[in-house]
Amino acid sequence: MLKTGIPKLDEMLGGGVPAGKSLLFFTQPGIEGDVFGMQALYNALSSGLRAAYVLTMSPPYEFFESMREFGWEVSGSSKDRLIVVDGYSRLVGMDSEEKYVVDNPYDVNDFDAAVRSVLEEIDALFFSSLSDICDMCGEARTLESVRAWLELAAKKGVPVIANFTAWPYDAEILEGIKDAFDAVVKIAGIAERIIIGQYYSVTKANWVKAEEKALLFKVIRPGGVRAYIPKILVTGPYNAGKSTFVRALSKRSVSVDRLGTTVALDHGYIDHKGIVAEIFGTPGQERFDPLLKWLGGESMGVFLVVDSTDEESFPRAKKMLEMVRVSGLPCVIVANKQDLPGALPPEEIRKRMRLEEDMPIVPAVATEGKGVFEAFEILVERIMGI
Amino acid sequence: MTLKEELENVLAEIKNIGGIEASAIVSRDGLLIASDMKDDVHAETFAAMSAAMLGAAETAVSELRKGLTERVIVESQHGRIIAMGAGPKALLVVMTAPDAGLGLILVGMRKATEKIMELLK
Repeated sequence: MLKTGIPKLDEMLGGGVPAGKSLLFFTQPGIEGDVFGMQALYNALSSGLRAAYVLTMSPPYEFFESMREFGWEVSGSSKDRLIVVDGYSRLVGMDSEEKYVVDNPYDVNDFDAAVRSVLEEIDALFFSSLSDICDMCGEARTLESVRAWLELAAKKGVPVIANFTAWPYDAEILEGIKDAFDAVVKIAGIAERIIIGQYYSVTKANWVKAEEKALLFKVIRPGGVRAYIPKILVTGPYNAGKSTFVRALSKRSVSVDRLGTTVALDHGYIDHKGIVAEIFGTPGQERFDPLLKWLGGESMGVFLVVDSTDEESFPRAKKMLEMVRVSGLPCVIVANKQDLPGALPPEEIRKRMRLEEDMPIVPAVATEGKGVFEAFEILVERIMGI
Repeated sequence: MTLKEELENVLAEIKNIGGIEASAIVSRDGLLIASDMKDDVHAETFAAMSAAMLGAAETAVSELRKGLTERVIVESQHGRIIAMGAGPKALLVVMTAPDAGLGLILVGMRKATEKIMELLK
């Protein structure tokens, strides 16, 4: 099984791309789709596989440079395991030191010869851009060859991952290329309401029943593709430890604290296990309630932080949850201050707050960072639904 | 042209007014929509705080029944931050040099907010 290393994608694909199967990253023009294939390539090389990369977008040194920008150093033994099929240098009349050089990149037969022979040496095959090959060699001829390559790779049990930018080709070509692959991941832009971003979704996979679910992503350098949650709200009564919770969770955070309490907003940035998220912490005191209404907009999930020793604050906690929680928004209760005497256990809190049976309640000590990432992982799972 | 590119064009236009160092379009609830900023600034945090600032000012003004909030201007040692509403969904924030003339900037921002409002309809 070839893992892509793209957060959440392997899970959606039932573990990755099986031997002999093929995956197409079908990218809308203007969206950063190339990085998906590069990340999968790096992941394959680091797990010890021998891979070939059919490069048509830039000369090899530029390709290695952009890999480096993402923090994916290809050198030493991982470089030995990589074969670059250079389909670019001859295009601009440059010399190439690669073992496989496509002499005439305008002739699909030259690509064909290289692909057929490199398939004998590798465990996984990658294409930097099949649309580039379409542009150079003609769409219909390229599609025909792609079908033949996939068939041959399937026979040899070699998984194939390819990028394709969906320029306005004939519908026949666009559909034909999608049909040729066993799985298709669509990468596109989103401008729904006011979240403007990029998403990916598995639109087809013939080895697993994949749910068609769109995940927002962000590309960071270094780092590559991260699943992205633009807004998670942290709310809860006065003195429950919301700011401490935001700080414990975040790589970087700021807080508008005056006289020891949050007066405007905490803001944190999380990068944890392939997920990037922005955290918005609300003030807890009632006099700031007018701010809560608009702070809550567009959030994709809610943490409700409660002081487990302070039963009197529970009604207020519940009211705050109602204020910010649009129906059905995923939520996790953080039962904070578990280290203090008199802290109620989660199940007791559920009873006293009369919370639904399936509402997760995570015991935590935010000052020591205990329980905070457990709570985060549970909420992420609920938001992404995988 | 995508919506994001059109919004970025609005920011590129106001940059032509002298004295503007950085700018951003932010949703009312604090998410960054588009920005023209140096890489060392964490634009998302700046966006969240700008929205909180304008939101709090608007709430304070309406509590006093003083009508609509025109803008928030923050003067600091090394420059100014100006935040203006751009319709019900978004706001426009710019950072200027400390000695930049406000007149042209405010006129330019007014025009920009109208465009943003139109684009995000």
